[in-house]
Amino acid sequence: MAATDSTKPQARRTDRTKFWFLGPAVVWILVFTIFPLLYALYTSFFSFRFGKINQFVGLANFGRLFTDSNLHNGLRVTLTFVIVTVTIQMLLGFGLALLLNREMRGKNILRAIMILPLFATPVAMGYLGITLFYEINGPINELIRAFGGSDIPWLSNPFWAQVAIILIDIWQWTPFVFLVSLAALQGLPADLFEAAEVDGASGWQSFRRITLPLMAPVLWLILLLRLVEAFKVFDIPTSLTLGGPGRATEVYSLFTYRTALRFFDHGYAAAQGFLLLIIVSLIVGLLFGRIRSIYQEERN
Amino acid sequence: MRRKTSPIQSILIGGIMFVALLWVLFPFYWAFLNSIKKPADTFRAGAWIPFLQFQPTLEHWISELSIIEIRQALLNSTIISLGAATLSVLLGTLAAYALARFRFGKSGNANFTTWFISQRILPPVVVVIPFFLIMRQLQLLDNVFSLVLLNATFTLPFPVIILSQMIRELPPELEEAAYVDGASVFQGFTRVVLPLILPGLVATWIICMAFSWNEFLFALSLTTKSAIPMPVIIAGAEHTRGVQFWFVGVRVMLTMLPPIVFALLAQRYIIRGLTLGAVKG
Repeated sequence: MAATDSTKPQARRTDRTKFWFLGPAVVWILVFTIFPLLYALYTSFFSFRFGKINQFVGLANFGRLFTDSNLHNGLRVTLTFVIVTVTIQMLLGFGLALLLNREMRGKNILRAIMILPLFATPVAMGYLGITLFYEINGPINELIRAFGGSDIPWLSNPFWAQVAIILIDIWQWTPFVFLVSLAALQGLPADLFEAAEVDGASGWQSFRRITLPLMAPVLWLILLLRLVEAFKVFDIPTSLTLGGPGRATEVYSLFTYRTALRFFDHGYAAAQGFLLLIIVSLIVGLLFGRIRSIYQEERN
Repeated sequence: MRRKTSPIQSILIGGIMFVALLWVLFPFYWAFLNSIKKPADTFRAGAWIPFLQFQPTLEHWISELSIIEIRQALLNSTIISLGAATLSVLLGTLAAYALARFRFGKSGNANFTTWFISQRILPPVVVVIPFFLIMRQLQLLDNVFSLVLLNATFTLPFPVIILSQMIRELPPELEEAAYVDGASVFQGFTRVVLPLILPGLVATWIICMAFSWNEFLFALSLTTKSAIPMPVIIAGAEHTRGVQFWFVGVRVMLTMLPPIVFALLAQRYIIRGLTLGAVKG
């Protein structure tokens, strides 16, 4: 629509010019992502010794993926983390947005404050977590005691350590779900709800029949964005628990990082990276189809 | 907005809002408290209110800010985030203009847009190993330059997507009028379009700065000493001296303040940015 008609003399000049505009960014990304990916693919066929390529091992690095119980542990920890955090964030964020979607005082301040966690350095949150979840006299245990509970072994118990990293991620990303759903809710056509009310629809009915279907595309999109980011989790477990106790919070990225930069097993780490990329791409592929089909239904 | 709120409902809603705000703000408050507590007070229960329950001190701020490594890290983080954001916005604005104003085949524009967005899917840990090996080869390990390049790459989708939407909202007649006056395509872009999208441009730049400032995995993998930025230096408060809550407090504050201030400055564009343009907010 905005494109110049190719019959104008102006257009011929832009034919070449447009590549000068788009080219640099495209070349940049090719150089900095496609090339490293190809390089990673290449290194995944070799064994390494002292950080140097040693010998060609074919698919052996990929074979190890199936038998390495530590890797499977990383995958399990990450999947648990992703499922629990994303589910809670979606429910809590969308629920809050529904509750607060009305005229009220202080909305701008609320929005400004909700933005803060999104930009709080995650690794700083992890270190701050060490003091928040401090088991003897930390503020969280102090509060729990004030309400008559007993101290929780946040960082020394495998289960509670997982809860701790999940809590920080929920703190950080629920506001994202909230802010985006609130923005989308406020963009919904008000007359639809008025008409439903005139027709005698209950609050639940208009939520079920109007709000939810209209919000579905945005909610799927938020889910997709959250899933993609959650699978990358690295900063918080690395800083808060160092993957421990034992391997209870050793998420996939942390395990791969250690394979590569502590044990210098670069070839195997590359193979692990590809497995993660395949898993994330599959999920994106599944959801992407879903989002597109919803958009198309809407158009028909 | 739609339904009338009864007094009980509005009290309930006010209550929920209050709890949400406390929940969001408490960690920041605690970081600040730790940074002004004497060491003994950080391990003690019942030290929540300065002056009343404990005597605050600025000594940790003074001693931390006098440490050379921390000043260096602040400088490194500033260079990395400024450099990366500038590069990213420079490349991104050009690409955004191309996607908004020119046609690339039948569905080229949509495909390019999707391709730019898809960069966010790539887990950084997949490319951190090749980057480590490449940077070692190029002798760029422990060099802020390598982090500028990488952060520019991973923030590039933001300016491309946000700004191409903004440019599409401008009428193309503006540039066409400039062409009639003899301006080139590039001049139409710099003299007509750039001034009009300036607020969005600045906001995008700020968002890219915040993301580059917060980045941890590449910073941890590619720096060892002189190029260490703030997110990596926080770890020093733990490993070399045991967990010293008061120093953790100062470092956490020093690390988190800049991106949070950036975020407040770019508020209007944040939802658009974080949803990669899908929700305008």
